[in-house]
Amino acid sequence: MERYLLYIFFLSFLYSCSSEIFDNTPREPESNDVFASTYQPSPSGDILITGGRVLTGTGEELEDVDILIKDNVIQEISETITPGSDSIVIDAEGKWITPGIIDIHSHMGVYPAPSLRSNSDGNEATSPVTPHVWAEHSFWTQDTQMPLALKGGTTTFHVLPGSANLFGGRGVTLKNVWSKTVQGMKFPGAPYTLKMACGENPKRVYGSGSGPSTRMGNVAGYRVEWIKAKEYRDKPYKTRDLKLDTLQGVLNGEILVQNHCYRGEEMAVMIDVAKEFNYKITTFHHAVEAYKVADMLAENNICAALWADWWGFKHEAFDMVWENVAIVDQAKGGTGCAIVHSDSAIGIQRLNQEAAKAMAAGIRAGFDIPKKRAIQWITKNPAKALGIDDRVGTLEKGKMADLVIWDSDPFSVYSKTELVMIDGIIKYDSSDPSTPKPTDFELGIISPDENRL
Amino acid sequence: MRIVNLLLVLIISNFAFSESILFKNASIYTGDSTEILKEHDLLIVDGKISDIRSDITISADKVFNLGGKIITAGFISPFTHLGLIEINQIAATRDDSSDLYSAGFSISQAFNPSSTLIPYNLNGGLTSAISAPSGNRLFSGLGSAFSLSGNTDSLISRDIALYGSIGADGESKAANILLIEDTFELARKFNEDSSEIQEFGLPDSVKYSKRDLLAIKRVLNKEIPMVVSINRASDIITMIDFAKNQDIKLVIMGASEGWMVSSQLAESNIPVILEPINNLPASFDRLGSRLENAALLNDAGVKILIAYDEWETHNAYLSRQGAGIAVSYGLPWHEAINALTKNVSDTFNIPNRGSLLIGHHADLIVWDADPLEVTSFPEQIYISGKLMSPNTRSLMLRDRYLNKD
Repeated sequence: MERYLLYIFFLSFLYSCSSEIFDNTPREPESNDVFASTYQPSPSGDILITGGRVLTGTGEELEDVDILIKDNVIQEISETITPGSDSIVIDAEGKWITPGIIDIHSHMGVYPAPSLRSNSDGNEATSPVTPHVWAEHSFWTQDTQMPLALKGGTTTFHVLPGSANLFGGRGVTLKNVWSKTVQGMKFPGAPYTLKMACGENPKRVYGSGSGPSTRMGNVAGYRVEWIKAKEYRDKPYKTRDLKLDTLQGVLNGEILVQNHCYRGEEMAVMIDVAKEFNYKITTFHHAVEAYKVADMLAENNICAALWADWWGFKHEAFDMVWENVAIVDQAKGGTGCAIVHSDSAIGIQRLNQEAAKAMAAGIRAGFDIPKKRAIQWITKNPAKALGIDDRVGTLEKGKMADLVIWDSDPFSVYSKTELVMIDGIIKYDSSDPSTPKPTDFELGIISPDENRL
Repeated sequence: MRIVNLLLVLIISNFAFSESILFKNASIYTGDSTEILKEHDLLIVDGKISDIRSDITISADKVFNLGGKIITAGFISPFTHLGLIEINQIAATRDDSSDLYSAGFSISQAFNPSSTLIPYNLNGGLTSAISAPSGNRLFSGLGSAFSLSGNTDSLISRDIALYGSIGADGESKAANILLIEDTFELARKFNEDSSEIQEFGLPDSVKYSKRDLLAIKRVLNKEIPMVVSINRASDIITMIDFAKNQDIKLVIMGASEGWMVSSQLAESNIPVILEPINNLPASFDRLGSRLENAALLNDAGVKILIAYDEWETHNAYLSRQGAGIAVSYGLPWHEAINALTKNVSDTFNIPNRGSLLIGHHADLIVWDADPLEVTSFPEQIYISGKLMSPNTRSLMLRDRYLNKD
């Protein structure tokens, strides 16, 4: 037995020598094929939506126009389009049409409803540094919150790990379609994201244990890991490291940083950390104090994903102003990138109303913010911040046919969706009680012959 | 000189109190009928509503021509922790729960009228609110009604309801109901003059103070209602029977599955406090949650009161967004306003508030547009005829950064 152990020890010594020798052999790169999207919409055929009032998401409002969808994408938007013989025609006269709503901050599937200890899978709160965990590996595809979000017009959402950790893990962008696998929901080709968190949460979770216990501890924690990541990228380690794979992806510009951060001065510090290690912060999330540093965000081309009015649940959320979204939007001559997000399965059902509140507050503060601009806070801007704006977020030729038909002005509390389409396929139709498709959980849950929804 | 100034202030403030204010050409929802009174005038004298008619010609100290703008009674939130919490995660700023007392825990003396939440929610449209203890315990304590004037005399009515829950602590709901029964039994027998509390018959771990039992006695005497947080349809039925057997006034908070038992709720005249936006099946007790709940309950004849979210007192005023959503799912507009005003004052016996009737406190709001719209703001807010300041800490922060000073 002893001898056998010695033999093993010798072999492993040889192995470690050989790994020294072959140090310059490039390690196996992360594969793009693993966990790849299998989402494929069924063919849409030709659909003509006539006579709607369209907030395009490009900054335009078009009255009484037709939209032609062909092969799951938008083919044409113009004043009069003649339907083909096979076209399905949808009359949208008197209705409003917007791009499908995109929520950049969701925990659906990782913090589902019903909310149970058994399915709360959003925070790997075992260490403050967990860039190796991926939200999609926690995702419960039968979360009842998703069909509700669909009824509210949400066609794409970005699922993040929670904010307990400095590096919380990878986020994933999903289409709001029923599927029995998460791969079947993944937005094809959407870049991965990395959730990072500033402020109170990491220090609260780890403060009485291993740390960090202070904000300066947080910042030291980020810098230590970025130093490792640079070395990993620049020196040929033999063995893959899942944590450093993710951080390297950020340094290479392939993975987008989605940074939970509330306070103005912390955002300024995070911008400097990003400069020190030469990576880009795509979006500050929650950013209750974004209005204090709105110019800085615009100068650095960083979006801010915000609530219309949540505040006071913790100290770093105390300085909320209703005009936060508008001030970020209007910064530096209107070059700011403002996003209205939910972080809530209740809020995701009505991001249009949240945008409406933020717009109204901005107008009251003296800004000129028309609806055609405010709609971008929940369509074009989140698409940009998720790196999918070449395919969704606006209604333009060639874009995925993700759109919502509203029964009235979507900036009203009374407005409801009539039709929600993803890739030209109707997923919710207010006149069809079989939509949205209930999740597995909801079947027979009210009574043996009664589904939820 | 100082004394002269002080006298001047006193004279002016006294004068201000006795002033008359006339709103001309308003659209007034009084709460007295289902209609909005178009092109009506409203007169305030001495802080009270003095007259509402289509043409009031009396001269007043202040006259506003509202050009058709809507006046409603100031909204009253039926469930908040206003004045008791400043920042949720900072325990030192919270006075909303007690481990010492249970039913007898009255929050009233901890109410902080200078809380930043008060002018903020006032400017969102609430002129008063019920502040309740939190804790989701069998008996959490007693709530009180407060005006949101920010003054030290904010208390409207002390200890107006007892709050409790039967499904919160991992114990079987059946055991919790047994414990409420046994506690009620003890309270019935409890004699205030006796020197000790005879707690035999209760589980060993359960202890009540004199205050707790006196609070329960008030429920048993039907002086105040008991507000119980429950959501599941079968639990609602159980509590309806319980209230009948115990002969108490019951108010149900939550009632996510209320629509399934709406006729039983209506028959027993039990009002419900709803959070209309909470349609998630967040637990196995509320699998039937849906946005139509408010409309279905109202259709069945149940008195509904609309709150925002139990856990989000900071934005308690968003009860009006919840009311707007309930309207889009079928609740008549006037019933939504009632659920934010007079249904609250009726249920909790808050006198002379909640509707715009002659002699009532002039707690009212002039709205720039439909008060249930998310894009609307109050233009003028009055509490007992006094114009409230439009300022909040939040507005001052905004202006600092807008003006970049």
